[in-house]
Amino acid sequence: MLPSFVDFTMRTRLVAGPGLVRELATELAGYERVLVISDAQLVKLGLVREVTEPLEAAGVDVVGVFSDVPPNSEVEVVMAGAGFARARQYDALVAVGGGSVIDTAKAINMVVATGQHLLDLQGLGVLDEPLGTLVAIPTTAGTGSEVTSHAVIKDAGTSAKLTFTSPHLAPDLAVIDPVMTRDLPPKLAASTGMDALTHAVEAYLSTNANPFTDALALEATRLIAQNFRRAVRERDEESRYGMLVASSLAGAAFNVALVGCVHAMAHACGGLYDVPHGVANAILLPWGLEFNREVAAERVDELGRAFGVEDGRQFIEAVSSLAAEGGLPTRLSEVGVPREGLEAVAEAAAVDGAVFTNPREAGAEDLLKLLERAF
Amino acid sequence: MGVFKDAAELYECIGGLFRRGAEHPEMGPKIRASKLIIKFQYTNPEAQLTIDAKNPPPEGMYFNVIEGENDLQADVTMSMEADVAHKFWFGKLNLVMALNRGMMRAKGPIAAILKLLPSIKPAYELYPQYLREIGKEDKIMG
Repeated sequence: MLPSFVDFTMRTRLVAGPGLVRELATELAGYERVLVISDAQLVKLGLVREVTEPLEAAGVDVVGVFSDVPPNSEVEVVMAGAGFARARQYDALVAVGGGSVIDTAKAINMVVATGQHLLDLQGLGVLDEPLGTLVAIPTTAGTGSEVTSHAVIKDAGTSAKLTFTSPHLAPDLAVIDPVMTRDLPPKLAASTGMDALTHAVEAYLSTNANPFTDALALEATRLIAQNFRRAVRERDEESRYGMLVASSLAGAAFNVALVGCVHAMAHACGGLYDVPHGVANAILLPWGLEFNREVAAERVDELGRAFGVEDGRQFIEAVSSLAAEGGLPTRLSEVGVPREGLEAVAEAAAVDGAVFTNPREAGAEDLLKLLERAF
Repeated sequence: MGVFKDAAELYECIGGLFRRGAEHPEMGPKIRASKLIIKFQYTNPEAQLTIDAKNPPPEGMYFNVIEGENDLQADVTMSMEADVAHKFWFGKLNLVMALNRGMMRAKGPIAAILKLLPSIKPAYELYPQYLREIGKEDKIMG
């Protein structure tokens, strides 16, 4: 049955293709001065140069590269980046990196446009006006940040992860090019790929899902099934391209449908024990699926069929083995979460925003049981 | 015209619900434990209610409920039409959808507000009961 109300938005124009990043100047016709946001490792690997050299050759002035973004970006980094940006004249920001870099660029864009401190911009729907032009070029295939209206930045003072949500945060353009993931280490390819799969699965099972997000989530699931293993092992261009497209599809799905209890638990594991987000999702996804299958068996079966297996039961088994094949840990005990810490993780997950769109009500007791099984 | 004819009527209905919540043995302590100051800014009619769970409450209440503007520094500010708030307190509004559609805006740490959602569930039953008690049956949503 169709829902009585449907709301779907994808504000970001997306272009995708192997080698497309070299044609960025064509996409940026009319822009003369760009500022790049990235991280030191990507500069070292030459991936930033893949973007800047063709731009400069086409007469676009690259007025600066802010490359101080760490893996989990922080408020201070955003404010430093905003200071760096204000000191330069530019007409577009170009983010080259994974989720942390793209979220930092969104936050810098917000701080520069409003003139406010980042801490005063937390919330939902806080921005009234469009921001400056932002281009996102992902170098991992997982977060989907290149098409979402959200940014997550850590407050180092309190260790809290701050959430910023506004339609104006979404990048204006996403450029998807497998050249940009050529140096992705296999384990990072696996953990970010599992993050993308978790986005697709949880968006499909979300209480906020609709026919548009369903279509995106199922296609993302199908592409991940086809490309994950090769993208991790052989790292060929076609499979990396497939994973990037899947990640953006899943991003566009969860941007509207939101996620569920797996993300809630992963956020808590990350916040309390620094478990990398994709790794936590990979460990917890089979248990979350098992839990939600009680109320959404048909939907889990549909995900299984999109993945190329017969039903939901086989899908859960396939998800477990996929993470293991990617060389990822499969138990919370392997990633530094102590048994005595599980209760605190469950308490934190039970009040995480992600849990409110889970298809099955999940309180701290339910989540603790899942965490114990995943331990 | 909206549900409330003026700010006084909004304060009587939603403000009254908040005061009942401040005395409620289940909701009151949970909101008190949040130590948050939450401002609710309403339009049509223009009004403002503040829940202050940071400063000491009056006797018999777990938190302060303040009508009208004040100088307190809010941790979270929620802005919405009064009719949206009325619907919300009947438990008839999908919060995620309302926030996505811009019917509600939340300024401040979103997680702090979401943490309170399970605690305020009793209010959805309390609101129609309270409206009945004060003779405002006409405002009860079916």
